[in-house]
Amino acid sequence: MSRAVDLFRDEIIELLPRLRRFARTITRNPHDADDLVQVTVERALLKFGQWKDEARLESWMFGIMRNAWIDEVRARVRRDRVFAPAEAGENVGAHTSDQDAIALQSALARLPEEQRMAIGLVLVEGLSYKEAAEVLDVPIGTLTSRLARGREALAALLLEGER
Amino acid sequence: MMISDEQIMAYVDGELDARARADVEQAVASDPEIARRVARQRALREKLRSAFDDVLNEALPEHLVAAARNAPVASVSERRNVADLAQVRDKKAAPERVARRWSWPEWSAIAASVVLGAIIANLMWRSPSDLAPFSAKDGRLVAGATLAEALTQQLASTQPADALTRIGVSFRSRSGDYCRTFVTRAGGGLAGVACHRVDDWTLEALSRVEAGSAGTGTYSPAGSSLPAAVSQTVEEQIVGEPLDAAAEAAAQRSGWR
Repeated sequence: MSRAVDLFRDEIIELLPRLRRFARTITRNPHDADDLVQVTVERALLKFGQWKDEARLESWMFGIMRNAWIDEVRARVRRDRVFAPAEAGENVGAHTSDQDAIALQSALARLPEEQRMAIGLVLVEGLSYKEAAEVLDVPIGTLTSRLARGREALAALLLEGER
Repeated sequence: MMISDEQIMAYVDGELDARARADVEQAVASDPEIARRVARQRALREKLRSAFDDVLNEALPEHLVAAARNAPVASVSERRNVADLAQVRDKKAAPERVARRWSWPEWSAIAASVVLGAIIANLMWRSPSDLAPFSAKDGRLVAGATLAEALTQQLASTQPADALTRIGVSFRSRSGDYCRTFVTRAGGGLAGVACHRVDDWTLEALSRVEAGSAGTGTYSPAGSSLPAAVSQTVEEQIVGEPLDAAAEAAAQRSGWR
């Protein structure tokens, strides 16, 4: 078992860069993102016994991350500590000097949660529709409509930004 | 040929089968407008990817690697077990009810005075097992001797303010067990919910708490899912209202059975 656990830990470490990237697409700021990754890693290890090889580890962990983030947002709502999206959006580009990247990250930060996650999984992480729908626990039709609306909104926000 | 936005997106996302792909490609070749629409979607996808690519090349924060290397593992998959610990049951959010429940002085004091760290304390592998505040047993996480003693003996109404472990609220759970919330300085600071079953206190939720920034009003988004993990566990499991002082004392006399 301990060898299996070690392998599992290694695989998680290999996935860390992608976990961090997905966390940034959904949290809107790098600090929250790394906190979310940590919670995700800890939860994944606690669920080690539930991990089955059928799904790809990344999908499984993205699902854990999504749930952890939903919990987090709920906790914030409960404490009236919700960030205003616009305000949070200013945080996003902190780690890059690329103006395009900043514009895109800010635009993405302004999308509703569910669209942001769909776009993060499919367009950024490159998951298939089927995998992404499983991570989000929605039918494929729901996923594709979130993707479509998210893309439209993004395109509109980017145009607005160029003006 | 009419090509819908959905088709174009699915094409760009690589979701079309060979035939549908050929249709789009043919349309792209013959209709400049469709070619533009495809190019626009491609560009969006590529821009998005590159906007977030930087993070892939950043050095990994050490604490994340350490978490992956060292955070505790649970290998059992029965229902009441360690793997359930951090799972926040997302069925019933009921925020107003939660807000009201946590207005109890005991807990609100806790909530206000701690900054919550990571979901599980990373002390399981750090302390010698006889000193650890909890240990694994039959796929459950159970309170260690010192914590168990506090859970069994202490009454919220009479415990010293500086006790190593402070009991919060006690309540009856859906499964009929007595459960108690606690905060302890042991193991670097932990908060959790423990339920009495047979001879042990099984930990149903556990969070790291740090007293460091207590009362400064600083807000750390870091572990803010933690109070949720604890509070939602209570919220999920509680039957009726928490025990008052008399009921708590009676339960203690009966050995929490």
